[in-house]
Amino acid sequence: MNTTPAEPILRVEGLCKHYGARRSMFQAAAAPIRAVDGVDFAIQPGETFGLVGESGCGKTTLGRCIARALDPTSGRILYKRPGGADGEEPVDLATLSPSGMRPYRRDLQMIFQDPITSLNPRMSLLDIIGEPIVINGIAKGRAVRDMVADLLEQVGLRADHMTRYPHAFSGGQRQRIGIARALGLSPRFIVCDEPVSALDVSVQAQILNLLQDLQASRQLTYLFIAHDLGVIEYICDRVAVMYVGQVVELASNEALFSRPLHPYTEALMAAVPVPDPAARREAAVLEGELANAANPPSGCTFHPRCRYRTEACKTTRPALREVVPGHFVRCHRAEELTLAGPSDYVAREARP
Amino acid sequence: MTAEATTSEIGDEGAVAVPAAVGKVVSPARLTWWKFRRHRLAVASLVFLIAAYLVTLFASFVSPSSPSTRSRYLYAPPQSVHLFDKDGTFRGPFVYGYRMSRDPKTMRLVYADDPSRIFPLALFVRGETHEVLGLFETDLHLFGAPGGYVFLAGTDAFGRDMLSRLLHGAQISLSVGMISVLLSLVLGLLIGGVSGLFGGRIDTVIQRIIEAIIAIPTIPLWLGLAAAVPRDWPPVYQYFAILLVLSLVSWTSTARVARGRFLALREQDFVTAARVYGAGWFRIIARHLVPNLMSYVIVTLTLAIPGIIIGETALSFLGVGLKPPTVSWGVLLQEAQKIQTITFYPWLWIGPAACVVSIVLAFNFLGDGARDAADPFSR
Ligand SMILES: Nc1ncnc2c1ncn2[C@@H]1O[C@H](COP(=O)(O)OP(=O)(O)O)[C@@H](O)[C@H]1O
Ligand SMILES: [Mg+2]
Repeated sequence: MNTTPAEPILRVEGLCKHYGARRSMFQAAAAPIRAVDGVDFAIQPGETFGLVGESGCGKTTLGRCIARALDPTSGRILYKRPGGADGEEPVDLATLSPSGMRPYRRDLQMIFQDPITSLNPRMSLLDIIGEPIVINGIAKGRAVRDMVADLLEQVGLRADHMTRYPHAFSGGQRQRIGIARALGLSPRFIVCDEPVSALDVSVQAQILNLLQDLQASRQLTYLFIAHDLGVIEYICDRVAVMYVGQVVELASNEALFSRPLHPYTEALMAAVPVPDPAARREAAVLEGELANAANPPSGCTFHPRCRYRTEACKTTRPALREVVPGHFVRCHRAEELTLAGPSDYVAREARP
Repeated sequence: MTAEATTSEIGDEGAVAVPAAVGKVVSPARLTWWKFRRHRLAVASLVFLIAAYLVTLFASFVSPSSPSTRSRYLYAPPQSVHLFDKDGTFRGPFVYGYRMSRDPKTMRLVYADDPSRIFPLALFVRGETHEVLGLFETDLHLFGAPGGYVFLAGTDAFGRDMLSRLLHGAQISLSVGMISVLLSLVLGLLIGGVSGLFGGRIDTVIQRIIEAIIAIPTIPLWLGLAAAVPRDWPPVYQYFAILLVLSLVSWTSTARVARGRFLALREQDFVTAARVYGAGWFRIIARHLVPNLMSYVIVTLTLAIPGIIIGETALSFLGVGLKPPTVSWGVLLQEAQKIQTITFYPWLWIGPAACVVSIVLAFNFLGDGARDAADPFSR
C-alpha cells in the first residue's frame, strides 16, 4: 500500500458534470441534473482508490469523466504520467480536445459493470481485444494475434478462445475479456466501474484477485467503483464516499472502516447484511430516498435522511474538512459525533 | 488465485450450450441462421422467393415468346399439358392445338382442343431472339412447341402469350419492391442514423417530418404524386418516378428503426469502451453500431417489400402508375378490369393476382421468421 505522499498520478479538482442543461426546441430548460457536483481528490500511483455510494449518486458519471468517455461540465482532471521527468507539469485532461486526448487514451482505460453490454456481440475476441491495439498503432497483423493470445492467457482464458464470440462465455469470463481489452494498451490507470457487481459471489473473488494480481505485475493504479462495502474493504487502499454528486468522506480503508466520521457512511455500513440473522442491529438504518440531483436539498445534502441533523445542517452546506490527518469529512458535527463502524457491531453483539 | 482455479472456472462455466457444435466456433451469423431455420414456413418462403427472383432475372429465356408478340389466337384459354393422347398412347409432354369457332349469339371466339393437332413440348428450343440480362443475344428459350404454339397461361385481347407477359411483368413488379427497398435502406439508415446519433434539434426536426409523412394517408399521397408524373415520359423515367413515389413513404419506418437502434446502441458500454480506447466516430459507426442494427433493419425492409409491390400494383391498376406498353402485374390487372374479361376470360386476372398474392405472402412469412432471428442472442 502506498502511504507516502508521493506526487499523485491523478488529481481531480472541482469536477462537475451536469446533465441536460441544454434547452431543446419544444421543451423549456429543466434544471440540470448535478450528477457530479464539485469533486476533489487525489490518487497516488499504485493505489486502489475506492469510490462508494448508493446507486445513482454519480459514481459512473465521475468515472466516465475521468476516462473522458464524458466531457465534464467544469473542473480539472490533472494527470501526471508516473516515471515522467521531475519537473513535468500534469496535463488537464478535462480541457483536452479529442485529438489532444489521444496520447493519454493509452494510459487511461476503463472496465465496465455490465458483462453483457460491454462486449460487442458481433465481434470475435480477437477483434474485441485487438481493436484498441490496432487503432493505437501498437501492433499490426500477425503481431496483434500474438498479443491477443498473450492477453487472454494473462486474464486466465485460453488463447484459442480468440476466434469465439462473446455469447459463448459466462459473466465472469466476459469480465476477463473486458479486462484483457483494457490491458492491451498497457494502461497505467484503470477506472473499474463496479466490475464485479453483476457477478456471482464466488466469481467476484476470482475477478478481484485477478485485478490485484495484474495491479502488482503491471504497477496499475485503480479507481475502483462499487456500491458494495465488502468489496471496497477487500480491495481498496483509500476510499471516497459519495453522496448526490459530492464526496462526503475520504479516508484510508482502516480509518474509514474502524471509525466512520460521516452519518451517511455509518448508515451505509449498517445496511451491509450480517451473516447471522440473530445479530440484529439497532442501527442507523438509511431512511428515505437518495436526494434528487436536479434539485438537491439546502444545506447539507444528506440532512433530510440524517439522524443527527441540527438546524445548521438545514441551512449551511458543510465543507470537506480534514478532521483527522488524512481523514476528510463533509459534516458540521464530525468532531462531536461518535459513529459506529462495522467493528462496533461485532463488539456490541459479543457482549452478553 | 491459482492458475488451476482460473482454468477450472472456464471448464465449469463453459460455453453456453449450442446444438451439435461442441468445440466449434459459433458466429452470430450462424446463431441467426439456426433461429431462422426453426421457422419452416419462412425457410420455404425464402426458397420460393429465391426461385421467383431467379426466374424473373432470366424471364426472357424462361418465357416462350416476347411479351408483345401477337398471334391470331385472341382471348385463348390456357392450354393444358398432356402426356397421353385421346387413345391412351404415351406421347411425351404435348399440347393440343386450338379449334376456333364463333358463338353465333355473342359472336365471341370459342376455343376447343383439336385432337388432330398435337404439338410436343421440347426443352431449349430456338425461337425469337432476346437479350439475356442485357448482356448477350440469343434465340434459345427454356421450352416451346417447335412447329406449333404454346400458351400455358392463355392469351390476351391481342393474342399475346400471358405466361410471357406475367414473367416479364414480374421483372418490373419484383424489381420495384427491391430497388425501392434499397433506396429506403440508404435513406432510412442515413436519416435515422443522423437523427439517432446527433440527437438534439436535428433529431426533433427529422422526427416531426417523419410524423408528418406518416400522417398522410398512403394511397391518396401515392395517387397524387403518381398522377403528377408526366404521361409523355419514356417508360424508364416513369418507372423510376413511380419507384421514388413508393420509396417516399417506406423509408420512414426504416429511419425510425435505425434511429431507435442507434439511440439504444450508443449507450451500450462497448461503444463507450471504443471511445475510451480512441476509436473515431466513423469506426464506431461502421464496426460497432451498423453491424448490430442491420438485422433489425433487414427485417423492417423485408416486411416493407410486400407493401411496395402492392403499391405498384394498386397504382398501375388505378391507371396512374405504369402504363402499357410497360408490362407489370398491376398493368396486367388494369387490362383485365373490364367486366366481360372478369367473367369470360378469368385467366387474364387470375394469373397476375395469384402472382401478387403468393409473392406478398412469401415476403410476409419470410419477414416473420427474420424478425425472430434478428436478435440471435435472445432465447
Ligand atoms: N446520460 C444521462 N442523462 C441524464 N442524466 C443522467 C445520465 N446518466 C446518468 N444520469 C443521472 O445522473 C445521476 C448519477 O448517475 P450515475 O453516475 O449513473 O450513478 P451511479 O453510477 O452512482 O449509480 C443519476 O441521477 C442519473 O439518473
Ligand atoms: Mg453506476
